[in-house]
Amino acid sequence: MSRAAQKQHAKRNQTPGIVGWRFVFVMLALASVFVVLVARAAYLQVLEPEMLVTQGDLRSLRVTSNTVLRGMILDRHGEELAVSVPVQAIWADPKVVLERGSQQDLRRWEALAEGLNMTAEQLNNRIGSDSRRRFVYLQRQVSPAAVDYIRRLNVPGVYFRQESRRFYPAGEVTAHLIGFTDIDDVGVEGIERRYNALLTGTAGRTLVRRDAKGRDIEVLEREDAQQPRNLQLSIDQRIQSVAYRELKKAVLTYGATSGSVVIVDVHSGEVLAMANSPSFNPNNRRNTPVHHFRNRAITDMFEPGSTIKPLPILAALEFGSADLNTVIDTAPGMLRVGGSWVRDVGSNNGKLDLTGIMQKSSNIGVTKLALSMPHQHLLDLYFSMGLGSDTGLNLTGESSGMLSHRNRWSDHELASLSFGYNLSVTAVQLARMYAAIGNGGILRPLTIIKSEQGLPGERVLSPDYAQAMLDMMEAVIEPGGTATRGRVDGYRVGGKTGTTRKAVAGGYGDDYVASFAGVAPISNPRFATVVVLNEPASDYYHGGEIAAPVFANIMNSVLRLKNITPDADGVRISKRKGGRDAG
Amino acid sequence: MNDVISESQRPRGLAIFHIDTPLLLGLLALMGFGLVVLYSASGQSQAMMQAQLIRLGLAFAVMVVFAQISPLTYKRWGLPVFLLGLLMLVAVLLFGEIGKGAQRWLNLGFVRFQPSELMKLAVPLAIAWFISNHNLPPKLWRLLLGFVMCVIPTLLIAKQPDLGTALLIATSGIMVLFLAGMSWRLIVFIGALVSAFLPVMWFFVMHDYQKRRVLTFLNPETDPLGAGYHIIQSKIAIGSGGLQGKGWLQGTQSQLEFLPERHTDFIFSVLSEEFGLVGVVLLVSLYLFIVARCMLIATRAQDNFSKLVAGSLTMTFFVYVFVNIGMVSGLLPVVGVPLPLVSFGGTSMVTLLAAFGILMSIATHKRILASS
Repeated sequence: MSRAAQKQHAKRNQTPGIVGWRFVFVMLALASVFVVLVARAAYLQVLEPEMLVTQGDLRSLRVTSNTVLRGMILDRHGEELAVSVPVQAIWADPKVVLERGSQQDLRRWEALAEGLNMTAEQLNNRIGSDSRRRFVYLQRQVSPAAVDYIRRLNVPGVYFRQESRRFYPAGEVTAHLIGFTDIDDVGVEGIERRYNALLTGTAGRTLVRRDAKGRDIEVLEREDAQQPRNLQLSIDQRIQSVAYRELKKAVLTYGATSGSVVIVDVHSGEVLAMANSPSFNPNNRRNTPVHHFRNRAITDMFEPGSTIKPLPILAALEFGSADLNTVIDTAPGMLRVGGSWVRDVGSNNGKLDLTGIMQKSSNIGVTKLALSMPHQHLLDLYFSMGLGSDTGLNLTGESSGMLSHRNRWSDHELASLSFGYNLSVTAVQLARMYAAIGNGGILRPLTIIKSEQGLPGERVLSPDYAQAMLDMMEAVIEPGGTATRGRVDGYRVGGKTGTTRKAVAGGYGDDYVASFAGVAPISNPRFATVVVLNEPASDYYHGGEIAAPVFANIMNSVLRLKNITPDADGVRISKRKGGRDAG
Repeated sequence: MNDVISESQRPRGLAIFHIDTPLLLGLLALMGFGLVVLYSASGQSQAMMQAQLIRLGLAFAVMVVFAQISPLTYKRWGLPVFLLGLLMLVAVLLFGEIGKGAQRWLNLGFVRFQPSELMKLAVPLAIAWFISNHNLPPKLWRLLLGFVMCVIPTLLIAKQPDLGTALLIATSGIMVLFLAGMSWRLIVFIGALVSAFLPVMWFFVMHDYQKRRVLTFLNPETDPLGAGYHIIQSKIAIGSGGLQGKGWLQGTQSQLEFLPERHTDFIFSVLSEEFGLVGVVLLVSLYLFIVARCMLIATRAQDNFSKLVAGSLTMTFFVYVFVNIGMVSGLLPVVGVPLPLVSFGGTSMVTLLAAFGILMSIATHKRILASS
């Protein structure tokens, strides 16, 4: 090509029109695409960042808590009721297991399965076949011996994690009260639940940033652990054991569906024993029906029946419609009140003084007393003795019983109230009420935590009448009373029986609740005790027949255990006279 | 006239060495920024930084050498190199080495070599030569032949499989045809043809892993631990950077290794997380500046061959940037395309700077070409 021709060619090439504006088009297109890219980044970074920042933090921020052993639960003398023992959880990383072929090493794999009490097949099912899973528990709360064995097998992908297991040395004796923890060491019943925070402490909490391999990179926040504390209950394990033993015996003997015992220190309001039967083994709860977990002493309400009778008598005394010498005619053993009949059990008791009314458990006697004053006065005393309100125990699931705040009461309703129907109480409420009588008339909140002085109480009875009531209650277990089987050798004790039909739909059925509430010793009361036997199936179902002996057996041991000086001789004869003469 | 040209186009400054100063400055700024990001993305690895510096130095040398070569020489050698490249691609398919699941490498005994990199340059050169030999706009049969020249290496590379590079090569070839004056009617027709061909691709051509990538792109959350992992982690990294970023070396997604491939294909996410939108705008501005400068070179080029080659190479570079940023920010499916001049990696860097060498040659050899 000649030089000129080439020039010509070049010149022609320089003005190809189409190519030129195509470049402009391309440039514009490129610029707009860059704008799109920046816009995309801006969208992610400015409009959407919160979600994505959170996601970023989710990937890298981890809260770790250093576990601490749960605090112990002790009785008032330091006896251990619940302790934590360090154990191990065994877990596997399926990814590692599958990658390293741990399952192919049959000898060790089968040994591992055996150590875990599984078949190799069950173990394989646990691991599964998804190699993306990274965590599966093989077994939790494994004993140190088994852990040691499995550790020596050294199976790739099988690891250990420290955890703790709760152990209850007292077993079924305190099962309902103490409750239990779940597998993650969180209290789910009883004291374990109520005082979970205190027993757990707050685990130390560390907020750390972690990388994709799980290594800690930096510590962002640190909260120190609140060491868990031990909890000392007001329970006296020796008394508790006696109470449970006697209760269990009675429940079995009389075929009762259940039973409860509550023992309260009358001066401090501390609960010394709270037992229910049937119980369960808190260390192995498998196959226990759920209703066995219920702490019936605080949850179950029943109509107290005659155990309430001290109240109408005290109300009449306080109001002044009766005094200690009042005599009431209960003949002929039946009384028509507002269209219904009130009957005394057994026979015509004739004229009775107040002690006699208690001793014979006369329904007519208390009915007449209850109707001798404005109904509001009677109800006030019921309420001020703690019925219809909680006892201050603050335990989970506690019931406050039932006592209605009505203004209008028919005579028959008031009569029912006076012999323990038309209201419901729990065993602990009854115990609190008897403790107030026992300590000379001061109603205190109950407590399950050891506290020598007790919580401040409120005077609800005059000391004289409280003392008089103690004497009347003593008469109940003396010859001629309803609870002669409640006697304790060498000690003066007193109480009141109760036998109520259980309410069923549309009236009262054939099942009974037998109860006995008592105070001991009478000369210087220390313990208020309530025994409730629910639905006894034998021919004996009266409180005096089946609940009073439980009371006597328990008190027999407890009074000696606590080194209480026997008070039954000398003093007893002179004091007893008034009551017996009247009865 | 000769005098006028020499007067107005007398080489000044670095142009004596056939170096285009604005482009050089743009490239240096980009590389500098890239090194800063790479230092963070590599987990502050000295060894990696060293390797990258050596590579950059080598690539720069290649660029300078390529800048000295006259566009005429490129025009002359375009076709032979293209044919040689084709041969090597076939050789790769027959007895290439396998790395990371793809057959891309050819072992020449003394050096391992990716012929597809050579083709990134050879395809636009050869097609530009073929088209610019005759009057523009080209005849239809010429366009078709040019298209065939582009399709053959593309398919060979896609077969390796290396979808990213195949895409780049297809772009470079088609860009030449477009700039040469392909009629709009034809473009629309081809567009329709491609969209009709897509389902066929899906069922008969694409590998399972490629299909998975597309599905993942459409909905990454379906498989957050598997195929969607990359893109989810990457989006989180970008988004959590916010306006200002978390600060250099402070990105949690990247420093804590949640982000995979963070020093290579996903380095943009590291930048976004640590420098925020500010960093993104800076980076994109640098790219835009380089692309604009290259386009200016292309429009100023004196002959059609140079124009076409410059435009095509610029487009290829742009597609690199677009595909990479689009992919890590979830706009495009994940194809293995590095962020040019920033990502850690060898061969593609050399090829890229060689392309800039050619562009500089076009920018600075005007007078010589005109008077030769």
